[in-house]
Amino acid sequence: MSFDVTLDRRILDDLADIALDAARRAGASYADIRLGETRREHALARDDRLERFDESRRCGFGLRVLVDGAWGFCGDVRLARAAILAALERACDSARAARRVQAAPVGIERLVAREATWRMPMVIDPFEISAAAKADLLLTVTSAARAGGADFCEATLDCEREERLFANSHGARLLQSRTRVTPFFEATAVDRASGRFAARESLVPARGAGWEYVAACGLVEEARRAGGEARRKLAAKPVTPGVMDVVIDPTNLWLTIHETVGHSTELDRVLGWEANFAGGSFVKPAMRNHLRFGSELMTIRAERSREGGLATIGFDDDGAPAEAAEFFIVEKGVFKSFQMAMGQAHHIGAPGSNGCAYADDPTALPIQRMPNISLEPGSATCALDDLIAGIDRGLYVVGAGSWSIDQQRDNFQFGGQLFYEICNGRLGDMVQGAAYQGRTLSFWNALDGLGDASTFKLCGTPYCGKAEPIQIAPVSHGAPLARFRGVTVIATDAERA
Amino acid sequence: MFLSAEEAKALTDKLLARSEADGCEILLRGGEEQSLRFARGSATTNMALSNFRARVASHVGGRVGAVETTSLDEAALLEALERSEEIARLLPVDPDYVPPLGPQNYSHSRRYDASIADLRLGALAEKVAAVVEACSARNVLSFGCAASGRRFEAMATSNGLFAYDPSGEIELSATARNKADNWSGWAGANELAADALDASEVGRRAANKAARDEEPLDLDPGGHPVVFEPAATAELAYWLLNTLDARAADEGRSYFSRKGGGARLGETLFDPKFSLRVDPGDALAPCGALGFEGVPHRARDFVAGGVVADLWRSRAWAQKTGAEAVPHTGCFHVAGGATTLEEMIGSVKRGVLVTRLWYTNMLDPRSLLLTGLTRDGNFLIENGRVTRPVRNMRFNESLATLFSKIEALGPSERVWNALRDGGASAAPPMLVERFAFTSRSSGI
Repeated sequence: MSFDVTLDRRILDDLADIALDAARRAGASYADIRLGETRREHALARDDRLERFDESRRCGFGLRVLVDGAWGFCGDVRLARAAILAALERACDSARAARRVQAAPVGIERLVAREATWRMPMVIDPFEISAAAKADLLLTVTSAARAGGADFCEATLDCEREERLFANSHGARLLQSRTRVTPFFEATAVDRASGRFAARESLVPARGAGWEYVAACGLVEEARRAGGEARRKLAAKPVTPGVMDVVIDPTNLWLTIHETVGHSTELDRVLGWEANFAGGSFVKPAMRNHLRFGSELMTIRAERSREGGLATIGFDDDGAPAEAAEFFIVEKGVFKSFQMAMGQAHHIGAPGSNGCAYADDPTALPIQRMPNISLEPGSATCALDDLIAGIDRGLYVVGAGSWSIDQQRDNFQFGGQLFYEICNGRLGDMVQGAAYQGRTLSFWNALDGLGDASTFKLCGTPYCGKAEPIQIAPVSHGAPLARFRGVTVIATDAERA
Repeated sequence: MFLSAEEAKALTDKLLARSEADGCEILLRGGEEQSLRFARGSATTNMALSNFRARVASHVGGRVGAVETTSLDEAALLEALERSEEIARLLPVDPDYVPPLGPQNYSHSRRYDASIADLRLGALAEKVAAVVEACSARNVLSFGCAASGRRFEAMATSNGLFAYDPSGEIELSATARNKADNWSGWAGANELAADALDASEVGRRAANKAARDEEPLDLDPGGHPVVFEPAATAELAYWLLNTLDARAADEGRSYFSRKGGGARLGETLFDPKFSLRVDPGDALAPCGALGFEGVPHRARDFVAGGVVADLWRSRAWAQKTGAEAVPHTGCFHVAGGATTLEEMIGSVKRGVLVTRLWYTNMLDPRSLLLTGLTRDGNFLIENGRVTRPVRNMRFNESLATLFSKIEALGPSERVWNALRDGGASAAPPMLVERFAFTSRSSGI
């Protein structure tokens, strides 16, 4: 580990003291504050051009108070005493105003107050790598994709560090730092004569990691391969649609897990708190320990401590420890637990938060967000060939493509980056223009084959949107290869279908 | 923090004077916002935010490095300036380098009413109370969000540009759900001035859609005549606007690429009734004066009478191709027609009234094949009348096909945008003969 928290701890502590002391004097029954900085770096290369290199440092605080049974919250980018006191006054006023349209007082559980420092393990701080080196990497990626067969390539690299001090009126003091890196490219091949084009996005996932991950992730080699695959997609035959068996690569399945399991088991959605925007859920509180979500092979865990996870952290933004967010969401096919932030569990008779709060900025209100959520691999030895061997006619899907799901997380449709026919137990030709469509419960109940741990891969997204105003959360999802029976595959290439 | 034009100018002047680069661009953005969310007729969460960002981009030898900070502190801003110069020196020379923009003539944009500045959460709570009351009167549950805010954007360059663009808005959206929890409706509105927002009317519109006792009908997927309410039309048009990218078209990786090379500018690709326009002076949906990269937004047709009239284009691509730079925007106005929504419904023997779409996403950019679902108010039309709810469905439909055969358009109206969308859009109700629903959804 080669870095330390860069913010001045003493200043943050002083400001937290000012906020919490003033909140107590203002009559708040509970108060918490998140102070800190988000540092970002964004680089974009397009073909032979380094088009953009931006650094940013976003500071601020978010102060939350519970006054007369109502929440009030105010955030400000100024880390200063006057701004803190003004924000407190505003938050208290807001709480009193909200109380007038609030049916019942807010109830919150008392989380154990801890004092701790947590730093994400990392070997090389990505912010110590020069802009020149990053530009060189991206231009090498675009060059490799074009050498491999693409006509165009756009490559980006995002590095992000969150440093936060969390303090609350119960005595919690948590200083944390975590870093994410997101390498990405899209290679496009064009046939000008026919007017057709095809793109292939990178399969390298974002990670909670340092530069050592970027250096070792094989982006340049993958770009060269992707350039050739984009070219092959141009000439590939269109998929023959129908109901068939599909083997889904972890590079695709993570997004299906995210949309169908991750979001459907968020308690704030179930309570209707997202009904006006992100939506509700088909899962209801009475379904805990009863709902047959999937086949016996389906075990999905919340895992806040997963190494390299985008949502890995020591404590959530309510101050709940990582171990609270280690639980079964689905165990052997049976739905077990919702994801919850502070103030939600009592609505379903549960004892308390299971550590699923996150605020996407120092100035943002913490809301319920996913920890890392992963599908466990099978215990028996099983690789791609084993899964394919049991299929007469099917499709192997690699990489995430177009995605869409209804607001209660039932009807979904997912595309992909690469598709291969499966014929008589063997992997066949590349095909293109496919998506699979289904309903969440019938899909997961059709799971009948799981790859072993050697096929497991941690993927995810830094950009999951939820709430009004919208917040963007990073989250990882791990999965092994998996086989699903009787899935509807559609053809999306209207020209060739 | 909401800076006045004078405060923004003083700050940018000070920074530009300290720049040691070949050129410098400064973009200031800030403002204040607040919101109040509610569910089941009761407040849930609220927030207020004071925000500021200064982005300093230094140009050194045909290279550009940029640093953004949230601090107004002079030392922090100067540090950002210095660091941006340092980054620029480390980067490779940009073969398509574009120098900082010089003075521009900006249109006047009517997007700011000073009354927004004085609003506190109590004002939003009153709006929420009105929605809750309107929904209670129809015996349906209410969910939603009220928000208000003002923001500014200022841009200055070492080549003499200074631009300042303030905006403000109050917005309200509401979802109503019946107590059997098997049907829902949605409505939303935005206004420049707080007094202009009729929260009761928003609540009534959402409640009217949701207050249905009949079991929703499971319609067979397939092609059906569809009447889209303005919010649904706007969602479809938004996707089309996003695909009007000149560079992608020129490079052969767009629906708007011509076989053999070049863009399909000037071609009639859509129904003659279809026009898509952007205008800072638009009465319903004004876009900001200051466009992406500081390029002024001007009144501009992207599609005029079915003809592709323009494409958006970055400054670098414009310079490389010798064409005009056209800023991308989320603001637009789909031209309306003379047929009312009621007349459209009256003309349909059997079809679907779609009031809102959800989770739209591009499935195939080659054919502009879009997917998504209906949401919060989907109704069967039989013999010219809305008869009963239809359970939500997924669609997979090409925007090229959809907008190439429009049966009728109604009067265009402003549709809801979230406060942070920073845009405004207007669209009409639209009748099409066939819209491809592909599967059923149980999502209500």
